[in-house]
Amino acid sequence: MTLLNLPDYSLENYTLASLPRLAELRTLSLNSKPAICIERARYITRFLRKHDKPDDAPEVRQARAVHYFLRHKSVQFFDKNLLAGSTTSKPLGAPLFPEFFALYLWPELDSVSTREKNPMTLTTAEADELNFEIFPFWMDRNVIELARTRFGNPRCLQLFENLSFFLAGKAGCISHAVPLYKPMLEQGLEGLIQIAQTRKNQLAADNNPETKQQQDFYAAIQIALEGIIIYAEHLAEEAENLAEISDQPEIKNHFEMIAKVCRHVPAKPARSFREAVNAIWICQVGIHAENINMAMSPGRLDQILWPYYQQDIAKGELTVAEAIEILGCLWLKLSDNVTMVPEASEEMFGGAGTVPAVTLGGVDKEGRDCVNDLTYIMLRVTELLKTRDPNVNARYHYEVNSHQYCRRVSDVIINTRAVPAFFNDVKNIEALMGQGETLEHARDYAIIGCVELASSGRDYPASSSIMLNLVACMEMAMYQGKRPITEEEQIGPVTASPSQISSFEGFWEIFKNQTRWLIDQAVQLNEMFGTIHQQMMPSPLLSAFFEGPMEKGRDLIQGGAVYNSSGATHIGFANVVDSLNAIEEVVFNEKKYTLEELFTAVRNNFSGSDGEKMRVYLQNRAPKYGTEHPIARKNARNLTRFLFQTYQSYTNYRGGKYRPAYWTMTNHAGLGAISSALPDGRRANELLASGITPVSGAAPELTTCLNAVAELGGTEIPGCWALNMKYTPEEDTDAMGKRFAQTVEAYFRSGGQQVQFNLMTYEMLLDAKKHPEKYPELMVRVSGYSAYFKHLNEHMKDELIHRTQYNLTNGHAVDFPE
Amino acid sequence: MTTAIIGSIGRYSIHDGPGIRTTLFFKGCPLSCLWCHNPEFQEHYPEISFNKKSCIGCGDCAAACPVDAITVESIARIDLSLCTYCMACIEVCPSKALQKVGVEYHLDELMEILLRDQNYYLTSGGGVTLSGGEPTSQMDFSLELTLSLHKKKIHTAIETCGFFNWNDKARQLFETLDLIYFDVKRVDSKEHIRCTGQDNSLIIENLQRLTGLYKEKLIVSIPIIPTYTATTTNLRQIAELLEETGVTRARLLPYHPFGLHSQMITRKPASQPQLPDKPMNHKELRQWQNLLEGYSFEVIN
Repeated sequence: MTLLNLPDYSLENYTLASLPRLAELRTLSLNSKPAICIERARYITRFLRKHDKPDDAPEVRQARAVHYFLRHKSVQFFDKNLLAGSTTSKPLGAPLFPEFFALYLWPELDSVSTREKNPMTLTTAEADELNFEIFPFWMDRNVIELARTRFGNPRCLQLFENLSFFLAGKAGCISHAVPLYKPMLEQGLEGLIQIAQTRKNQLAADNNPETKQQQDFYAAIQIALEGIIIYAEHLAEEAENLAEISDQPEIKNHFEMIAKVCRHVPAKPARSFREAVNAIWICQVGIHAENINMAMSPGRLDQILWPYYQQDIAKGELTVAEAIEILGCLWLKLSDNVTMVPEASEEMFGGAGTVPAVTLGGVDKEGRDCVNDLTYIMLRVTELLKTRDPNVNARYHYEVNSHQYCRRVSDVIINTRAVPAFFNDVKNIEALMGQGETLEHARDYAIIGCVELASSGRDYPASSSIMLNLVACMEMAMYQGKRPITEEEQIGPVTASPSQISSFEGFWEIFKNQTRWLIDQAVQLNEMFGTIHQQMMPSPLLSAFFEGPMEKGRDLIQGGAVYNSSGATHIGFANVVDSLNAIEEVVFNEKKYTLEELFTAVRNNFSGSDGEKMRVYLQNRAPKYGTEHPIARKNARNLTRFLFQTYQSYTNYRGGKYRPAYWTMTNHAGLGAISSALPDGRRANELLASGITPVSGAAPELTTCLNAVAELGGTEIPGCWALNMKYTPEEDTDAMGKRFAQTVEAYFRSGGQQVQFNLMTYEMLLDAKKHPEKYPELMVRVSGYSAYFKHLNEHMKDELIHRTQYNLTNGHAVDFPE
Repeated sequence: MTTAIIGSIGRYSIHDGPGIRTTLFFKGCPLSCLWCHNPEFQEHYPEISFNKKSCIGCGDCAAACPVDAITVESIARIDLSLCTYCMACIEVCPSKALQKVGVEYHLDELMEILLRDQNYYLTSGGGVTLSGGEPTSQMDFSLELTLSLHKKKIHTAIETCGFFNWNDKARQLFETLDLIYFDVKRVDSKEHIRCTGQDNSLIIENLQRLTGLYKEKLIVSIPIIPTYTATTTNLRQIAELLEETGVTRARLLPYHPFGLHSQMITRKPASQPQLPDKPMNHKELRQWQNLLEGYSFEVIN
């Protein structure tokens, strides 16, 4: 069977009307209200209280705890989904990980069910259990408190807790990974357990005490995986019971099928497409017993599932409609959970799903076109369901993949208005190879969460380790190491005052000094948290789904993976580049204002008519990132290069390098709201630009905007970026689709690594903010992930509204309505 | 080295030839059509445009003006009878409400800009279109530019009003171009003078010549302007002319009120040709298109 056999790649005959199960499940999913699930917190806590053995190695303790939870995890069948297994005990559940942020919920236990923005159901009994039994246990045991105690409340931890300098991802998770499900599908978990046992026996036979840690790790893998097998058996038992008690043949049959599947996988090798899909899903649930549900990404599903699809189709045991239905069920299962967001964090993260990323298309390890029927089927599923999760991403290699494929992805984006996101194989493979990955490994990359890149099951990239606020660096450079928000407190090094700075190069050096200092603080904290994780949160279960740990006998957190980087992303890139441009051009080239005059006006938020005149001048006349002004191009390049070199000079606790990236989730709106004015003419408290996207309104022409971003692409941005583009929808979608695809390809040929879209107008989004009831299902691209517009906080809604809207009929930005 | 005055560079234009293109609007045109869609490109010299909405009324322009041609109440006003086009006001305007229209470019500068969108030409089968204004009014430059683009294997097109002297350079230009859009507006010569300010015999002569030489790459453009060109008589006369000449393809350019909304500050008295404020709709265009059916040339979209 060849890769492409479908008579019609759009699969337009398969609709929700012809797939009633998916239509029903989709409606249930869109209407479900999130509820907090305390099961995981309950059983992990209970295990540590009652069954912990103090002499256990951290890996074994974690494996036993996870095993204990999986053994006790409740088995639920909420609806007609064909797949068994659920992340939590609720149809749409937010599991609690008391090791991390869950304790922030403590003061909100009474209000979380009724708060105005994105409430989460929590029963009184559950709240009491958290209040009296669970949370007290974790008071001094969570990652932050352990770090505080162990490292004596270091400066870097205090800076993080201020929340306006940088965020340290490890306080909340590592997760962010692409497990490799192929070996599990081919050998079953029993096969993997067998391998671990054999390796353990070999080491034990050597009688070398130095291998104890490895032996413990192999034992831990087995304990953890057995937990998943037990959970699957429980699913089978419950399905058998439900089949037994039902007198409706249809329901009986439904549960008998499920029971049959769960009796076999994931313990044993998958025999069919359906078994393979359900095996992946049960393992995904298992991974979330151990790792927080944030960006745990199933990866290249069109490749992993292809042999099973191909075999079942050839045998006549599967139809395209059935494949669509099973995958639709998986898509809805992947969106069965959300993260618990305390009210205080709504500003930063509100409305996000858990961003499990699915990656489609691109090239295989040998560099060949690997777009197949399943790629198109998954695109159709995405187009039909239009759900926030999973985060679907399309890889495109313009020299290898077909134009038809690029066009089909474009059409799905036009039809859903938002998904999937587009990734450039040529540049992303180059970026990973720049990090020392082999060509084969780099070609097998998948997207993690928002936009980050990982060689499937080989990279453990902790890609949200650091989220650095570049605006803080700019402010410290302007005000001798202080910031308006922290007033007189000396934060960064004391650097020269404006009257002492006589050239742009002088200022640039000061900016770099402050940035290096802040990066160093963020790295220090990440390293501290890393060592805490090594003690407290190893991942033997996740390690079983990676290449490396099994061979080395080492957990992921100990550097067991093939590649072991840490990721650092940046907020405020475009505003900082534009501020540098303004300083260079207006102060030092034109000499229109002195540096003192400029900084004084900025500090005063451009008050008074002279201040406003200066602001208008800076906004309109200073060079802007997103145009082809040579100063803007130079400063954008210098900033990405400087950040790349700075991060790469560090080696992390797992032996890998730090990789810079440019995606911002909703932080650019949240941090914007608390940031002072900037030399680019932005007033205090206004939004910051998202991802690597130019400032709204700063790039009036489409191709100059795309060219300015694209030329930054490649080895210096190994963590990838989010470029947010907004296009006016057109009536003639066929003509638009053609241009859309051509434009994406041209942007990729110019070096762009990633791009994602909203096909919406200013007017439509303004209306959606005013009348949310008219847009109940409106899905938007935020900065690397999708969200329902109605769930976003007001800052973020405004940010989406104000993003520059381009017309693909003339390449110009549309004027914002008056 | 040759230079040209360019009024505007339209990146990502999709209506001036195949694919995604960059359209160069040359400054200056020998005609002055009453309905001109781009009146800001009629004069050969750089001019000033003013965006009222952007003006913050700061008065910096008035202070900078050496001949006191600018007064500012809530927004700026320029007295063009005094203005010397020194552009001092534009240098200081903080909001870019005042902008210069018409920039002098060297060939290599312009080529560098045009090549920036090469990937868009490549993926869409696009290229560069010389438009205006009238590109043949800056013939030396148009020729050199077209030759340079041709050398880079970039598709070139021209939109010409047809009013130019035929000589070696013109021959070489049209020889090199990949696509020629040639405007035919009115056949009756008196009416042509009334509507465009010029007689049309040179235009018709050039049309015949170019059709003879380059029939396969020539498309006649007919602007459909209510009451001016869009009359039954005129369109029938145009059809007959095209048939006689042996033209094979024509396209209609529907009226658009771009000219009415121009932000150009111009010395010319505002013409009042009673043009509608709305673009022509499909239905009306279709009616005029029907008139041109049944002739020996094809009407394309």
